[in-house]
Amino acid sequence: MSAYSILEAYLEQPNVWDEMFSAEGIRPPYKNFVSAIENLPPVEMTHKDDLAKKLFMSQGITFTVYNSGEGIEKIFPFDIIPRIIRNEEWKLIEAGIKQRLKVLNVFLKDIYHEQFILKDAIVPADLIFSCPAFLREMMNVNVPFDIYTHIAGVDLIRDSDGSFYVLEDNLRTPSGVSYMLENRSITYRIFPDLLPKNNVLSVKDYPDLLFKNLINIGRQNTHDPTVVLLSPGIYNSAYFEHSTLARLMGIELVEGRDLVVDNHKVYMKTTKGLQKVDVIYRRVDDEFIDPLVFRPDSMLGVPGLYWAYRKGNVAIVNAMGNGVADDKAIYSYVPDMIRYYLNEEPILKNVPTYQLANQEEREFVFANMERMVIKKTNESGGYGMLIGSAATQKEMDTFKEDILKDPRSFIGQPIISLSSTPCYINGFLQPRRVDLRPFALYGPDGIDIVPGGLTRVALKEGSLVVNSSQGGGSKDTWVLA
Amino acid sequence: MLSRVAETIFWLGRYMERTNGMLQVIRTSYISSQDEVSDYSWQPLLLTYGNLKKEAVKGLDESSLLIFDQLIFNRENPSSIFNNVTTSRENARAIQDHITKEVWQCLNDYYHAIRDVQLEKQIKFADPISVIDNLIKYCFLYTGTMDMTMPRGEGFTYLNIGKFLERAVLTTDVIRIKLSEINYELEEQEEAPEWKYLLYSLYGYEQYFKIYRGNFKPEFVLQMVLQNTFYPHSILYSLEQVDLYFKRLRTASLPASYQEVEFIIGKTMNAVKYRKIDSFEPGEFNKYLLELRSSLFQIAQSFSKNYFGIS
Repeated sequence: MSAYSILEAYLEQPNVWDEMFSAEGIRPPYKNFVSAIENLPPVEMTHKDDLAKKLFMSQGITFTVYNSGEGIEKIFPFDIIPRIIRNEEWKLIEAGIKQRLKVLNVFLKDIYHEQFILKDAIVPADLIFSCPAFLREMMNVNVPFDIYTHIAGVDLIRDSDGSFYVLEDNLRTPSGVSYMLENRSITYRIFPDLLPKNNVLSVKDYPDLLFKNLINIGRQNTHDPTVVLLSPGIYNSAYFEHSTLARLMGIELVEGRDLVVDNHKVYMKTTKGLQKVDVIYRRVDDEFIDPLVFRPDSMLGVPGLYWAYRKGNVAIVNAMGNGVADDKAIYSYVPDMIRYYLNEEPILKNVPTYQLANQEEREFVFANMERMVIKKTNESGGYGMLIGSAATQKEMDTFKEDILKDPRSFIGQPIISLSSTPCYINGFLQPRRVDLRPFALYGPDGIDIVPGGLTRVALKEGSLVVNSSQGGGSKDTWVLA
Repeated sequence: MLSRVAETIFWLGRYMERTNGMLQVIRTSYISSQDEVSDYSWQPLLLTYGNLKKEAVKGLDESSLLIFDQLIFNRENPSSIFNNVTTSRENARAIQDHITKEVWQCLNDYYHAIRDVQLEKQIKFADPISVIDNLIKYCFLYTGTMDMTMPRGEGFTYLNIGKFLERAVLTTDVIRIKLSEINYELEEQEEAPEWKYLLYSLYGYEQYFKIYRGNFKPEFVLQMVLQNTFYPHSILYSLEQVDLYFKRLRTASLPASYQEVEFIIGKTMNAVKYRKIDSFEPGEFNKYLLELRSSLFQIAQSFSKNYFGIS
């Protein structure tokens, strides 16, 4: 009988790309790491796991779930085993995301101005005009430096053939970057020396890069701009992220009630009267941002903000109306956009997507539903989704009915298997499925992507859903030098 | 500084000071109830911090455990230590970018500690004083961490204004709690142990005996807790600190706002500083304390109106 090995429960899964194992054994980027932990007694690993949880709790990296009156503090589940990416792979990812963002940004400017892409019939016009995130209010608004997508969190997955696919371009108010930063700082506490020994690239520049961009955007109007972060407040589940980013950048964290618009200029209410605001990094969704123009019942926004923005008196990051570019139905046209605007071939692949408004494609999807994922085009967080292989006949029938009522609001995609990576669960390494969300920053000087990102992991065995609202967790993500 | 942030940080200072003050007075009251005072009554304390009607207080008076539960752990009592700490942490969370990470973690740890169910068990089955001491230590840790790590900007200023204003209110309340136990009979009750426990409750017992060398007179006790500016829990000391921190705000204020608050702080300080302690008529002292209390609330209201944008 051989001694205990942390790897003994790691079972091979057919048709799944494993980030750590190949047919030849452990993949080179993981070798160093595995040799450092494989002989640790299980009690030590469990100790590290507990330490990580304790650190999250005592640092208050938590969100509060309010039910039955008293708030309960929860931590976003963290798996201590890092996900490791080779430098060559990272370079490909970086180039692919830059290409995509450049194009999506041009697309947004085009859609909200001349609409050449519709006139040339590359993207069907009715798809755009039926998209609820398309804002007529943004037509002919000139945004500073023509940048719409200042912060993007592009979701990537790896299929069984080992190649990366883009699953979603999150261009509205993507979140999770604070977990990229915190996961790293927890990792060096629980695995001393392992980061430098493995030549892991640092992610700590993110707040500096973001701040530099925000300041540069504000310089269009004034030499010394005032930048604020607009948050919905402490009850928002991403509040920890908002306050962390504000603190790391040294900018004011404001709520809607702290701001007021006078004569199309935005001010914050201070102890010394009103102070002008030049740039707003907002973490409030479009529909809540100005009750005079969008949802009138919103208490999170600022009345009059839209007109101040439209007149160019304040910069808003990200721009309003970006949802038209990351709509799940419009997503399938991104490769065509890349060819149309840049005359290049896409570096990163798209997942094949069927438009359910198209009768032929819909019939195909209906006939093959058990091999499909059906998603609502304007929902996120793992809501409004059906995975055919795991659904009952009844669930499929309900979805079919809903689709027939409003086919534009649904798309179908073949089930992508998602690569697996080791997680430390119950004393052993076990494979779980992951995606990857790198964060890209688009400023007047160009696009920066810090080497790393948020690896989200589906902690339930066999699950393909990584969203935190559906029982997902996260991991530190190492990009090797 | 944002008005909302200034207000939140001001209240953070107040809640934490109140937590510490309340714990100390609960601790002393418990000791005195166990020690030498026969028929000790918790009534004045319960009426001040228990959020209860007079009839409800009567039922609690017999059992220290019920009293601890009401004053420390009760979620329904908005003045309980539990709710003070929870609100402090909630306030800290809302202005996390204006306090240091160290201060935040300290409050966060306190919050997790007070929610620990073991604590209630310890108070029930072990020594309540150790539990209270432990909770007081968290307050000291917070005060030290704040002092060591916070930048001396506007945030620190509002935090301290809140802290010292609350301390003045606390001292006023503790004097009223302790003296109501002897029905404000200042002269007749010279020998009463309440005077000693008043000093204990305000961390002043040792200092008193250093100054007055064993000469125990109610007049001296009152002089110390009201007017001694070398004693950090006296009302005048606390007001001088409020004034000191407030003056730092001059350049960060609108002139009219500054003047209004400056006036009311100065007026309240004078009412303490120039009041002769030996000239109170019978029954007048309680009235004086009540007036003082309302002046302290006027200072708070004046901040709300002029600095926190609440009219």
